[in-house]
Amino acid sequence: MNVEALKDLLYKMADDQLVLGHRNSEWTGFGPLLEEDIAFSSMAQDKVGQSWQLYKILNELGENDPDTVAFMRNADQFHNCQFVELPNGEYDFSLIRHFLFDTAELLRFQFLSESSFEPLALLAKKIKGETKYHSMHANIWVKQLGSATEESVSRLQTSLNEALPYALGIFEESKFEDDLITSGIFKGEAVLKEAWMGEITKILNKSSLSLPDLTSIEPITGGRNGIHSEHLQPMLDEMSEVFKVDPTAEW
Amino acid sequence: MLESLDPRVNRLGLPDSFGSPFGSSSLDQFETYEAFVMTKPGKPFEHVGIVHAPNEEMAWLFSKEQYTRRGMIYCALCVIKTENVKVSAVTDNDLDVYTTIEGEYSGQEKDSFEVFHLIKRGKQHKHSGSVMAADFEDAMRSANQSIERPKTVYNVWIAKTEDIFSSDEEDADIWDTLKEKKYRDAIDYKAADKIKAFKEEQA
Amino acid sequence: MYGGGNTFEAMKATALVDEDPIKLAEFEARIERGEKIEPSDWMPQLYRKQLIRMIEQHAHSEIIGALPEGTWITRAPGFKRKLALMAKVQDEVGHAQLLYGAAETLGKSREDMIQDLINGKSKYSNIFNYPAFTWADSCFISWLVDAGAIVNQVANSKGSYGPYCRALERICAEESFHLKYGHHCVIHLATGTKKQREMMQAAVNRWWAPMMHFFGPSDKISVHSEILMKWKVKMASNDECRQQFLDMYVPKIWELGLTIPDDKLMKNEATGQWEYTEPDWDEFKRVINGDGPCNKERLAVRRKAEERGRWVREALLAPKAKYVTPLA
Repeated sequence: MNVEALKDLLYKMADDQLVLGHRNSEWTGFGPLLEEDIAFSSMAQDKVGQSWQLYKILNELGENDPDTVAFMRNADQFHNCQFVELPNGEYDFSLIRHFLFDTAELLRFQFLSESSFEPLALLAKKIKGETKYHSMHANIWVKQLGSATEESVSRLQTSLNEALPYALGIFEESKFEDDLITSGIFKGEAVLKEAWMGEITKILNKSSLSLPDLTSIEPITGGRNGIHSEHLQPMLDEMSEVFKVDPTAEW
Repeated sequence: MLESLDPRVNRLGLPDSFGSPFGSSSLDQFETYEAFVMTKPGKPFEHVGIVHAPNEEMAWLFSKEQYTRRGMIYCALCVIKTENVKVSAVTDNDLDVYTTIEGEYSGQEKDSFEVFHLIKRGKQHKHSGSVMAADFEDAMRSANQSIERPKTVYNVWIAKTEDIFSSDEEDADIWDTLKEKKYRDAIDYKAADKIKAFKEEQA
Repeated sequence: MYGGGNTFEAMKATALVDEDPIKLAEFEARIERGEKIEPSDWMPQLYRKQLIRMIEQHAHSEIIGALPEGTWITRAPGFKRKLALMAKVQDEVGHAQLLYGAAETLGKSREDMIQDLINGKSKYSNIFNYPAFTWADSCFISWLVDAGAIVNQVANSKGSYGPYCRALERICAEESFHLKYGHHCVIHLATGTKKQREMMQAAVNRWWAPMMHFFGPSDKISVHSEILMKWKVKMASNDECRQQFLDMYVPKIWELGLTIPDDKLMKNEATGQWEYTEPDWDEFKRVINGDGPCNKERLAVRRKAEERGRWVREALLAPKAKYVTPLA
């Protein structure tokens, strides 16, 4: 097994879950309905919890402990896609991102539940319920707001159009793609993207939203290689403000 | 702009003051649904509270968050629109509410109804059985004959079976979350050793 | 989380002498027997009004209470703290929702309550009008403000109104972790590095006065408070709650080597009562009437959230939907 390839996969997944979980938690207290404050917080906890487990697996492969890895790295050392680091914006953007990302998340973990790398397969199985629920939540909301008022449909459509180039960046391939596929660790980003397109089309067809031609959209990539938007570093600085007062202290 | 210690609040860009008082011409209040949960397969559904939602699917979703977000201990959830629940009189002082009803069960099996009992004031209504009957009042009479009552019943809720929106059995795994969620349990916060060590160091 | 200091001031309600004497007697006998009152029971107007006011204030306190601790939600140090603080603040929002539901059974809709909150017509716990300057402030709130709230909530959960008791039972169960989490955080700071200890002590110094205010001024003996005690709406006096809190938590604060900024604070072993410097009740009144450090911000956040979310609620609203009062 190519450990470098494995670590690369684990890092990008862990960083995705941490960064988006953090973004989701920003909604607590500010949501459009109290019910959504609570829902976004649950998803934030699930995602940050999942990232913690992934960093623990990395720790067992020789990487630093999870707190240090999560709270002490700079933006250029993060492998999340740029999509997850974008600010929450209005609820329409947060919802569309939640829908597009969590559909991919559900499929990714479904694939990984058959991974040849045991710890990852085990984790994927354990979080099956969580990821299924995230997707259920997103689908219900997108169907609802995506076919309600003129304003809600137009807001969601605008956010969808803005989000798609970033969403396609989720599937940015790494140099280890072939290694991961041949060793049976992961089916690869291309397969995931195909499955994802099928799923989001299915849900969007139940709403008044239209999916632009994805082949004509240029994906925004770079995140997997440490290239990020201007939003990630300030987010990380905020997240680690207290931790960095004394990284060796027990908090 | 209003300055806050909370970076999230600063990103909201709050004005120093709002011109007019807050309000809306019409109330944007959704319909009311009663939520019921099941803690183990085979146990009865019990009432946990209400949610406001625009439809039953969303009522179910809101209830999932509000009443079962701690996961694990739940396996099913259902909601009933409040206006579809018929409520009996409420009795007290050991008077069984069924003794106050009149008339005989018709024997007709037109519709299926679910019956919920309150056996202690201040506690929750619990599902206690299903009956077939002609209408709500008839269902109450049918329940009087067919549902066993080991304890005094003070209040009865009845809903048509078809008005209940429930989770699919195959989705029970959405309550099956990571075991590593102990941070939500008091038991995960032991620090007596730390206090002891601190005191010894001070002494 | 919620403090005492309920203001049970005189309010316009049908005078008791105008209530149906037979129904009133039945109602009082039911409470006397220890049975709970359920929403469809007859109840005196004064009972209904005071309960709506109390449960509504409690609900507002939860939703506003999510804000001072929320100040640190994006900055909690380390995975464990990050997850716990998210879950804790989430619970506060959930509790608001539960309590609004309980108040609604008495006939006031959630939207009306939220509108009254934002327009400053109804109150919430005064302590949340103070800012959380550092991480340690959030730890103080998690531990001690919650502790104070629990003293109050446990008392109220033995009250007479069924839906409120049910909500409080759920709330107390969910809150069992808040207190332990908060204590755990404070222990780590107080026994930690020099910087951490200083941070914690500064937070105690800032929060002690609001904490003493939290339970409210001594109750005035009035016709209302007597009858509300009899009807099991008010379960313990403000002073009783404050004494209970001091008794349970001052020793726990002291054992961590922290000092409390009140020279007079001591337990009088002869009377068993805690003695302390009388809190500044003028400041309390000033803050409760809107002139505290964060009153404006707290309400502005709520208003902004409601305004930003309006399109969502409009989109969800089915045109023919009508509001129905919950059953229980």
